[in-house]
Amino acid sequence: MAGPVKDREAFQRLNFLYQAAHCVLAQDPENQALARFYCHTERTIAKRLVLRRDPSVKRTLCRGCSSLLVPGLTCTQRQRRHRGQRWTVQTCLTCRRSQRFLNDPGHVLWGDRPEAQLGSQAEE
Amino acid sequence: MKSVIYHAFSQKEADELDVQHSGVQQAEAFVRAFLRRSMPHMSRQAREDQLQRKAVVLEYFTRRKRKEKKRKSRGLSARQRRELRLFDIKPEQQSLFLPLHELWKQYIRDLCNGLKPDTQPQMIQAKLLKADLHGAIISVTKSKCPSYVGVTGILLQETKHVFKIVTQEDRLKVIPKLNCVFTVEIDGFVSYIYGSKFQLRSSERSAKKFKAKGTIDL
Repeated sequence: MAGPVKDREAFQRLNFLYQAAHCVLAQDPENQALARFYCHTERTIAKRLVLRRDPSVKRTLCRGCSSLLVPGLTCTQRQRRHRGQRWTVQTCLTCRRSQRFLNDPGHVLWGDRPEAQLGSQAEE
Repeated sequence: MKSVIYHAFSQKEADELDVQHSGVQQAEAFVRAFLRRSMPHMSRQAREDQLQRKAVVLEYFTRRKRKEKKRKSRGLSARQRRELRLFDIKPEQQSLFLPLHELWKQYIRDLCNGLKPDTQPQMIQAKLLKADLHGAIISVTKSKCPSYVGVTGILLQETKHVFKIVTQEDRLKVIPKLNCVFTVEIDGFVSYIYGSKFQLRSSERSAKKFKAKGTIDL
């Protein structure tokens, strides 16, 4: 990969912002605005520098209002059946935007497959 | 059958089992808080109406829902700001932000690969330019406006022209970056930040390259 140095700093910064948002939310569950601000900053940085994020991290951020989603606190999670398949529906409580994830025991994420392991190890 | 299950306590039994009759007001407050938690999208007036069993006028929800979802999935910028992303600080919260400061210290130490490399202060400065300052303890050393000098606190928000800081007295202070010199200290390593050159949103700062231009002064 060309120029890993700048990217590593940027990734560290993204990581720090994410942890800070969690920390702030843990201290004060009522006050979500600060966590939302940090996640919005994070999203802008990632957009500006075009950085790829792991899907497990992307799923905890709301795409509409960019707040940190914590099931039970900031969002609701429900299991629905639609056309014979099982979906998990996450709804953000602030902007009322829902995300649907297919909940299939046979489906493996691309990042976990052995073909993708080489790529992620080279990045690390 | 009902009398077997539900049976009023006599006074003696209540004292034995230590059952306290909470006041009416406490019970009402509890119910109101619970309703507020479970139905956040209804306004307070609508909830009061529900409690008093008034007839609530329902709108055509099905249509509204479809319209909301079909709109732009990103954006909604005006509406977003209306939702008050800027926050209201309540008192006695400066102590709550100390773990955030610890996290920031760890992050900076990790970024510099060491406590105090005596070799290159310039490298640390270059890294600080790209680094994130949320959670740092910042103080104002020089400023054109004398009332800002000496203000110290933990940085909470950084926007295009302004720093928002919580001081030791749990007060939220808003300090403009223009014409101010800030001091950031990390592990005995002090660096000065000239606010006039820093008039950028923090996310833009990590993307931009800085050039030495103009005089470095207030």
